[in-house]
Amino acid sequence: MLTRSVTAAILLAALVTAQRQVLAHHSVAVNFDQSKQVDVTGTIKEVVFRNPHSQITVTVPKPEGGSTDWFVEWSDKNALVRRAVPFELLQPGIKVTITVNPSRQLPNVGYFSKALLPDGRVLRDCGFGAFRQSVAKQETVSCEPQKQ
Amino acid sequence: MRAAEAVTCQPRRHRLAAALLVATIAATASPVLAQATSPVAPQGKRADLDGVWILARNATTENLKLTPAGEAARARYEPLRHDPDMKCIPASFTRVMHTPSPPTEIRQFADHVEINYEFMDVHRRVPIKPKLAIKDAPYAVVKFPHLGRSVGRYEGETLVIENGDVQAGVHDTLGTPGLPQSDQMHTVERFVPNGNTMQVIVTHTDPVYYQQPFVVTFTFQRLPGGKILPWDCTPEAASYERFFPQK
Repeated sequence: MLTRSVTAAILLAALVTAQRQVLAHHSVAVNFDQSKQVDVTGTIKEVVFRNPHSQITVTVPKPEGGSTDWFVEWSDKNALVRRAVPFELLQPGIKVTITVNPSRQLPNVGYFSKALLPDGRVLRDCGFGAFRQSVAKQETVSCEPQKQ
Repeated sequence: MRAAEAVTCQPRRHRLAAALLVATIAATASPVLAQATSPVAPQGKRADLDGVWILARNATTENLKLTPAGEAARARYEPLRHDPDMKCIPASFTRVMHTPSPPTEIRQFADHVEINYEFMDVHRRVPIKPKLAIKDAPYAVVKFPHLGRSVGRYEGETLVIENGDVQAGVHDTLGTPGLPQSDQMHTVERFVPNGNTMQVIVTHTDPVYYQQPFVVTFTFQRLPGGKILPWDCTPEAASYERFFPQK
């Protein structure tokens, strides 16, 4: 089982970036700048896991006072369920840092890359590439959050 | 029972159910009704395509050459505003197959094939009637008539589906984003089984927007134990309109 998890982790690292560029419901590469990463630190206001894509709203405090909302798009719920991504760890009220690829056109909108949870673990999405590789090998992909 | 075995058992149930249905109709229906509902004999050797499939790798596109009209149409495409996905509308069967994670289920019957794409809840019914003209076929997806009409046949172990009478608009938004299609877009899909993998080779012909037929090849792999889940797309969730700055 450990070997399978390690294999899945390696596959994740190798595949998730490349696959996500072309494999998404709305082309991620078209809508989001994957050459850039932005850390969005704040409090989760709302999570909606649904199809065709999920959304996490994060309230981010402004240095000058007040706050602004960031909208983080993520995979469709069906895919997250199939990949056994523990997305329920993201709950309203918790403080997180979500790393996103920013939208090419829209302010305060980004695509989910990873989330630093309050307990220090990092939640990632194994990605479809790792999932289908695991299916081909009759293995189970593991998306459990890892310590950073 | 292993998951893979469970998948191979499923089609047998469908075949049994289909056989029972046919027997029931034959025994109870009037001669006229029986004639109207009897399955057509399968053409060729029926391919073993039953099951649930996911994309095994990225699709490939060959011979894509737009006409000047096609180039102009593509230049006008704005993904955030023109992508039919944003309204929960599947642009084309090619577009649907380009979607990576939602699986596709194929169920073969004596006189038709059901293809259930999880993406956008596209449930396609293809009559296996080689002599049926596309214009006379029913819409392939009742919920989405703009996807056109399909007719299927078997060539050896290959399932061949021709599709036409589509609505002009956006053809694809993923493989090559912003590809247009006219109402003359005609596709021939060849479903070629190979054990636990399957190729779907789609030849697209549209003289309005393309200089020559172009081919998109999808490679699928079986998803043992897989099932199609509801997609339940809502435009409110699918659109980016809510993110646009207020005017």
